Amino acid sequence: MYYWHWLTNIVRRPQTTGFPTERDEAAQAMSDFDAVRNIGLTGQGILRRAMAIRHVDAGSCNGCESELGLLSSPDYDLSRYGFSFTPSPKHADILVVTGVVTEAMVPVIRQVFEQMTAPKRVVALGSCAIDGWVFQGAPGVRGGLDGIVPVTTAIAGCPPSPGDILRGLLAAVDGVDPALRKEAGQ
Amino acid sequence: MDMEQTIAPTESRYPAARAWIEAWRAARAEGLDSIMLAVDGPIVSALLMNRITGDLSRLQWDARQSDWEGVWQPSWSGIGETVASEHRIVQERPDLAWRLPSPTSVRGKGIFTYPLGPVHADVAESLLYRLHVMGDEIIRLTLQNGYKERHVREMMGGRTVPEAMPVIARLTTTSNVHHTLAMTLAVEDAWGIQVSNPVHVTRTLMAELERAYSHLGDLAALAVSTGLPVPQMQYLHLKEAVLRLNFSLFGHRYLRGSIVPGGLFTVDWPQDTDPVGCARVISDVLDQAEAVAAGLQRTSSFLDRLHGAGRIPASTVEWGRPVGPVGRASGLGLDVRQVRPYADYADFDLQVPVETAGDAYARFRVRVQELSESLTVVRRILGGWHPGDARSAGSAPPVLGGAPVREHGIGVVEAPRGLLAYSVRFAPSGRIAAMGIATPSARNWAVVPETMANGNILQDFPIVDASFALSVAGWDG
Repeated sequence: MYYWHWLTNIVRRPQTTGFPTERDEAAQAMSDFDAVRNIGLTGQGILRRAMAIRHVDAGSCNGCESELGLLSSPDYDLSRYGFSFTPSPKHADILVVTGVVTEAMVPVIRQVFEQMTAPKRVVALGSCAIDGWVFQGAPGVRGGLDGIVPVTTAIAGCPPSPGDILRGLLAAVDGVDPALRKEAGQ
Repeated sequence: MDMEQTIAPTESRYPAARAWIEAWRAARAEGLDSIMLAVDGPIVSALLMNRITGDLSRLQWDARQSDWEGVWQPSWSGIGETVASEHRIVQERPDLAWRLPSPTSVRGKGIFTYPLGPVHADVAESLLYRLHVMGDEIIRLTLQNGYKERHVREMMGGRTVPEAMPVIARLTTTSNVHHTLAMTLAVEDAWGIQVSNPVHVTRTLMAELERAYSHLGDLAALAVSTGLPVPQMQYLHLKEAVLRLNFSLFGHRYLRGSIVPGGLFTVDWPQDTDPVGCARVISDVLDQAEAVAAGLQRTSSFLDRLHGAGRIPASTVEWGRPVGPVGRASGLGLDVRQVRPYADYADFDLQVPVETAGDAYARFRVRVQELSESLTVVRRILGGWHPGDARSAGSAPPVLGGAPVREHGIGVVEAPRGLLAYSVRFAPSGRIAAMGIATPSARNWAVVPETMANGNILQDFPIVDASFALSVAGWDG
């Protein structure tokens, strides 16, 4: 059985995509070039690799959660860039917020952000977390993350593809979207 | 045919509220399933469906006729499946004088409360669990939802159907095809629209693709809850394979936006689709999913954790009547695709698995069999499916102008997590006047606390939680 796996692994393409730092047509097709927008690093210092992510659901439809969960899959394998999910905000470097922010979640998000040690980044994941998207004006809904915690990087999409989420996470750390860097020929 | 029954105070020897509850209880005992409880103005109505024939009936009660003095509200009278709606009604309609049960406090030496949430480990939705434990044993669980309440029902009031659809499709994205389909069926019901066969077939294809990737994700979560990352990764890889296939066929990984009232929206579909190649991919996914499940069936560390964990007590099954894989794993064989076929399901002889043990292992087995069944249906449809036919048949949906033929439209579908119903009342202008949504997650969460406190220890909690695989978005819509 072991040798069978060994042989098929030689024949098959690797399951893990190289996207966004290498070319991959399939992941590229599902990506939206304009999805990642860097709003500005918080200026609290440089982050080196091995970054722990704390995810908070502020009122999402669970689409962004589904895509975020797929980052751990063999296809995207976020640990190859040094990312991991952490249960504790004290260990976290990046706060990822999904969904439209409801009034009930505002204090929770603030508390999680305060518990994180500097340097830290905030990623608004998905169009809802950026500006409320289709839930703008709903009762009990605040809208986007603006004015609650300082957003480093916004990743648009409904939901953004896992490839775009990786681009956004790398942009939040490095300050440059790897897709843009590739365009510039670096 | 659908019928309505209104309980008026003169009809019975009971006061109206009690007569209404008694009539509901009697209907429930005679094989009717309660699918929705809603308040619209002064009218409280329970929407019921016959479990064999799929016929719908509505039991209505006029709140102006009598009060609830001395009468038990539904969940206290043994009707637990609409308890989530009851909680909404308590907040929205104080005039009914319905009350939430006061939380019974647990006291004793050595009892601890673990608060878990609303933010919890890894990638999860916001929900507060309060686990009361004595040593390792969970003796009580209370759930507090509402952190992510987006008030979709209120938002929909006064909107036109095209304005409502984008929000409906984002109530629960991992079931968005079924939410859109249920709403679409409700609209087509109200306007009396018939759609052609290629549209039905395409909708069935999308629905089963959604069930397939949803079950693959749920099985991945169950595998890792027992500490087995290898099958988790295998299932996640298969889920990604189905999502990529969705994208290649319909231009969206979660199939959003293709189903519209009266037909299909095909503008975003890629031009160069290859249904035969996709059928081959599905065959591969089916073979690999079955191999992973067979591997899990041989893994004693997996089976030991699932057998007997999270068994739903028989009295709770009777009270809450869970739906979907959770219900079918506890002996309730209700599947809307069989009893009230919509889209193209009348043409399929579906094998619906039913287990009676009601534990995490039974839910695992039901999901594994449903996944195989879904992928088989997808493969069969793809074998004879032509995107061109679907495009030409569905691309010109009728304009929903003016008044609907009927005031009420009802759509009932079998979402990946179970029975999902939309009941919409339209104003003469064609705008939405009132909207009732009954999601399977809202219904099934009601049986989770009793199940968790049924002889499980703290270490079983993630496994039982993963075996239910419910969404909070569907509860807090």
